[in-house]
Amino acid sequence: MTTVDTVYWDPYDPALARDPYPLYARMREEAPLYYNDQHKFYAVSRHADVQRGLADWQTYSSSRGDILEIIQADIELPPGTLIFEDPPVHDIHRKLLARVFTPRRIATLEPRVRAYCRRALEPVTGAERFDLVEAVGAEMPMRVIGMLLGIPEADQPAIRDYTDETLGTDGGGKINHEDILSTDAFKDYIEWRKRHPSDDLMTELMTAEFEDENGVTRTLTDEEVLTYCSVVAGAGNETTGRLIGWFGALMARYPEARRELAADPTLIPNAIEEILRFEPTGPFTGRYVTKDVELYDRTVPAGSAVLFIQAAANRDPRRFDDPDRFDIHRVTQHMSFGVGAHYCLGAALARLEGRIAAEEILERFPGWDVDWDHAELAQTSTVRGWKTLPLVVEGVR
Amino acid sequence: MTTERWNVIVDTRMCVRTGLCAASAPEHFELDENGQGHARSATLPASEEVLEVAESCPIEAIGIRGADTGERVFPPPGS
Repeated sequence: MTTVDTVYWDPYDPALARDPYPLYARMREEAPLYYNDQHKFYAVSRHADVQRGLADWQTYSSSRGDILEIIQADIELPPGTLIFEDPPVHDIHRKLLARVFTPRRIATLEPRVRAYCRRALEPVTGAERFDLVEAVGAEMPMRVIGMLLGIPEADQPAIRDYTDETLGTDGGGKINHEDILSTDAFKDYIEWRKRHPSDDLMTELMTAEFEDENGVTRTLTDEEVLTYCSVVAGAGNETTGRLIGWFGALMARYPEARRELAADPTLIPNAIEEILRFEPTGPFTGRYVTKDVELYDRTVPAGSAVLFIQAAANRDPRRFDDPDRFDIHRVTQHMSFGVGAHYCLGAALARLEGRIAAEEILERFPGWDVDWDHAELAQTSTVRGWKTLPLVVEGVR
Repeated sequence: MTTERWNVIVDTRMCVRTGLCAASAPEHFELDENGQGHARSATLPASEEVLEVAESCPIEAIGIRGADTGERVFPPPGS
């Protein structure tokens, strides 16, 4: 007996950026284990499968990266790239950063994060129209990450543009793995930071003692510090910027939710969770299969690449009632930050930035619409969100 | 030396199975068959290490109370 997969999903197809959800729904129902013959990868989309798989690092390894084309390129990855590591080495490296990203330490950043947000909004206050992504999405997370790493303010935009360019694949292309592993952007700072220690993350990483995988107590090498900084900058800029864009877009599409949030800002944290569920900025995560696995009566052979589609899992009706309904009161445990050892290190920071941006935007602009004809949605192989989102502010003449 | 002991509870409704607690303090925490963490015994000795594990949990799923006093240690009272 032969079965034919009638569903076709190409993660590199830019035409799918606008509304991938009907296709995800078909994959969940018709091809819960999907195989793409052209790009040679498997994909799973049901909530239970995504949750189980991402938590199982022994079977689904990060050692070759978490982006499909990087996994398939089969390249040597430098140590310290904790996104590309498995336990126990991963946990040793992650622990060094985890101290800085605990929910409590992140909460102490609130006044500074709010100041960056207000500064970003100042130039557009009173405007009848502005691009939310340009004003806040591209600005605020860059300032926050730059401040955490200790990058001088004047140099922060260059660092952001560098990492965005690395992750950008206009027109549905693939990422160049030499770019993504480059640490050039930070090389200039490390020597300077050694002579001028501060209370920033780079200084902390240079001085923190830890026991490495060989049982040796040491500090990180310069090369490792650079890799850590690149990982943090790459992961923290564009993803959070896209979250802020989705806030702007969804609040225009669901004005009754926006009015509720403006009237009662205590609802904002839960609304951010629903935005993360509904439109995750990182729609899927890749892993490398270490041993043959039986899934839906088929064998996924060792050596395969598999994509876990969190954006599909987030709308699995087996897990969420009426999943395509946007509901800011929903109690949601979405998959957007992942599950397991690689659960997003910056989750607390993303939540803080999302909440503050929402509070500050709603306070200044209680109502807006989007000029959809001039809005531009982009999907790279890692991130999906608005590149341009022109807001038309209500109540401004 | 303090002989104080703590009740350390992982909220399984919140736990997203990062495994970080068992990885950073394997003598105090272990993972169940679902990958969710829990304390190895009903009470743990009060220590900086255990507190740091609770603080480092990215979703703050680990709660600590004094075993005798019942007083909340983490998250700190009033937060």
